[in-house]
Amino acid sequence: AIQAIQGIQTCLRVAGAAAARPECFLSVQDGLAADFRAMTKTLYDLNKGNNIVRGGPLKELVIENFDEEQIWQQLELQNNAVLDFFKKSIARDAEDEDLCLLSDQEDDGSDAETSSGKELEDNIMEAETEQMNVYTKDKDKTKAKEKQSKLRESLMQKYSDEDSDIDFDIEALEQQAKTAKETTLRKKERKSVVDDKFFKLAEMEAFLEHAEKEDKEEEDDDDINYFEDIISDDEEDSEEDQVKPIKSSRDMTYKDFFDPVDDDDGDDDLAANDAEEDQEEEADSAIEEQNEESMSEFEDMDEMMEHMKSKEASKKVTFSLPDDSETEDVTEVQLEKGINPSEIKSSFEQRQEKMSKKIKSLEEALLEEKPWQLKGEVTGQKRPENSLLEETVFFDHAVRMAPVITEETTFQLEDIIKQRILDEAWDDVVPKEKPKEEAFEYKKRISLDHEKSKLSLAEIYEQEYMKLHQQKTEEEENPEHKEIQEMMDSLFQKLDALCNFHFTPKPPVPEIKIVSNLPAISMEEVAPVAVSDAALLAPEEIKEKNKAGDVKTDAEKTATDKKRELRRKKLRKRMRRREKEKRQKLLEKMKPEQGTKLSKKAAAAKLKRLTKEGKASLLKDEGKDKALKSSQAFFSQLQDQVRMQIKDASKLKKKQKKEKAISVHKLKL
Amino acid sequence: LCLVPQQVGKGELRKIPVPANRYTPLKENWMKIFTPIVEHLQLQIRFNLKTRNVEIKTCKETKDLSALTKAADFVKAFILGFQVEDALALIRLDDLFLESFEVTDVKPLKGDHLSRAIGRIAGKGGKTKFTIENVTRTRIVLADAKIHILGSFQNIKMAQTAICNLILGSPPSKVYGNIRAVASRAAERF
Repeated sequence: AIQAIQGIQTCLRVAGAAAARPECFLSVQDGLAADFRAMTKTLYDLNKGNNIVRGGPLKELVIENFDEEQIWQQLELQNNAVLDFFKKSIARDAEDEDLCLLSDQEDDGSDAETSSGKELEDNIMEAETEQMNVYTKDKDKTKAKEKQSKLRESLMQKYSDEDSDIDFDIEALEQQAKTAKETTLRKKERKSVVDDKFFKLAEMEAFLEHAEKEDKEEEDDDDINYFEDIISDDEEDSEEDQVKPIKSSRDMTYKDFFDPVDDDDGDDDLAANDAEEDQEEEADSAIEEQNEESMSEFEDMDEMMEHMKSKEASKKVTFSLPDDSETEDVTEVQLEKGINPSEIKSSFEQRQEKMSKKIKSLEEALLEEKPWQLKGEVTGQKRPENSLLEETVFFDHAVRMAPVITEETTFQLEDIIKQRILDEAWDDVVPKEKPKEEAFEYKKRISLDHEKSKLSLAEIYEQEYMKLHQQKTEEEENPEHKEIQEMMDSLFQKLDALCNFHFTPKPPVPEIKIVSNLPAISMEEVAPVAVSDAALLAPEEIKEKNKAGDVKTDAEKTATDKKRELRRKKLRKRMRRREKEKRQKLLEKMKPEQGTKLSKKAAAAKLKRLTKEGKASLLKDEGKDKALKSSQAFFSQLQDQVRMQIKDASKLKKKQKKEKAISVHKLKL
Repeated sequence: LCLVPQQVGKGELRKIPVPANRYTPLKENWMKIFTPIVEHLQLQIRFNLKTRNVEIKTCKETKDLSALTKAADFVKAFILGFQVEDALALIRLDDLFLESFEVTDVKPLKGDHLSRAIGRIAGKGGKTKFTIENVTRTRIVLADAKIHILGSFQNIKMAQTAICNLILGSPPSKVYGNIRAVASRAAERF
């Protein structure tokens, strides 16, 4: 026990000395760190010596050659065990009806007042005694619990501010404790199904009850208590009106206005129970404990940080600033790394940093050489290979895009095709014939009547005269009609050109150019025209020239001409003959009967057959076959014929005479 | 033919001799000839059988002095070979004339060449002659070597040109082209 006291005394001494000069903490203090480690060990061992609180497995805190992390791990082990123990005891005590949660205003006020007045060392001394009491009383458990809870709360308070300066001020700690008390008090109510982070059914009911009571009180109390604090309707207060510890506006935080968002029920119960206990005790003790807490804070600060940090992050209310998530990360990172708190920057500073970085990067980009996409005309050599493939290029399409063929389009097309087939409305292209209208043809159209005119001259002139006189009357048509007709014609022609697929433009109207085929002089002469051969139209234009040249009579033809003609004639005949034979052959093939009738060969064959059979006899023309070329030949032939006739006749006579003579002779005998 | 006006009494007299080949046609068409002369022109006409002349005489009823000329031209045209109806146009229209010329006037041709020229003018079945007649609105009489054209002045000229070209040897197709061109121009002018 004496050892314990001594140990604690030394610890307090060291801690007090360190606390007296907080400015030294701006830089790393290796010596102090070692001292603190030693203190941690002594306190741990002391705690372990006391067997009331069941702790972790380690009997003593090993610090030699151990990293901070490892020390913390050891402490954590201890704390986990201790926490369970505390929870159980608190639960037990909460059910204990002897305990009262209510605290007096005056007590709080006195606490506030006394806290500021008391000196550190007095507090320490009292704390010492209390520490002793703590370990001996039955309710030490709860004290120990309080220790932990307050430390937590204070830490929460601390790290909810994002100020770089952390208050080791005891006064602040006390105030924090007060607020923690108040907040925890409100959380004694039960949970319901509707509750969530911000709303509690029990709280609402309490508020309503309070309101009802107020109404009742108003009826009773006519006097207004001027020294009372006016409680806003938002706060759900129970009957114990508590004066909020007066904080300067600079120190106001979210916690002053809103309840911390609770999602961990255990902590709340713990905190609530702790608050109850505190109220029972005297204010001083609370303060002393707080003071002690502040000492142990230094040791356990680190150990609790890990616990708190995670809860901090979840319970913090975050604003939707663009850089906040980053700042959170940054702060967390900083916390993890154990960076010196002085280097932590405010959110504004961080945002400013980022802005400046952005600006810098933009400026650099502007000053740099631009990428090829932003340079005007870029040829293939100036840009990297295949870089256009990665670019989405916009360009105007000069032509209509080809239609996308989908199933629907094909169906539509097929429908059209089917309908067309049914209607038999084909799109056959009508073969076009180029109208061969040459000047010559055109001229011919002025009709040349080669026949004797049926009308007499008088009638012709009569008709002419009538025409002349009638034309004058008919010409006076409505000029507007003419104009309209002309306009419509031109319009329709243009429309046809536009819409007709197979549009063939009208052939150009051959301009009628009157070519007077007489030399100018002859036109103007009054005297009868002198005949001249000069003509403006070439003779070939009027009529095609004969290949043979001039038309010649037989007398005029030369030998070559005659031979040429003969050759031509023979050729023509040959062709005709061949065609005839072809036709004959074809006929024979197709209709053999008809074929045989017409051919010469067939006829000759027939004749031969007939003569053989004896049905027909051929007449022989002996003398008449020969061609009589001269008159001499003719007359000689004639003579011969006559002679023959005479001979035949005389022969006949002689024969007859001979026959008669024989008979007479026969008779005479 | 010289038509010397003889003053017989108070009126004038014209005599038109009739060749033997035209005697019969005259006899056949006598009615058609003398009717318009007597009725429209109010002249007196007779055919002197002895002298073989057609004689036309003015009388009191004659209103127009030029009627005699017209009648004489009319009869003369018929005698030359024109149809009565064609010759009748002479009476009806003032500006019709009668042109006569010979083939040898255009070009001295003899024998076969002359015949060929005449043949060219006539054409096959008179085709060419009719064509020229139709295009130029004239009447042509082709009597061996003599050519008579009846029509208005312009048309006579056209026909004459065409015939002359034919005489000189141009083929008929060429002549057709020429006369057609000229005729169309002439027609457009009016």
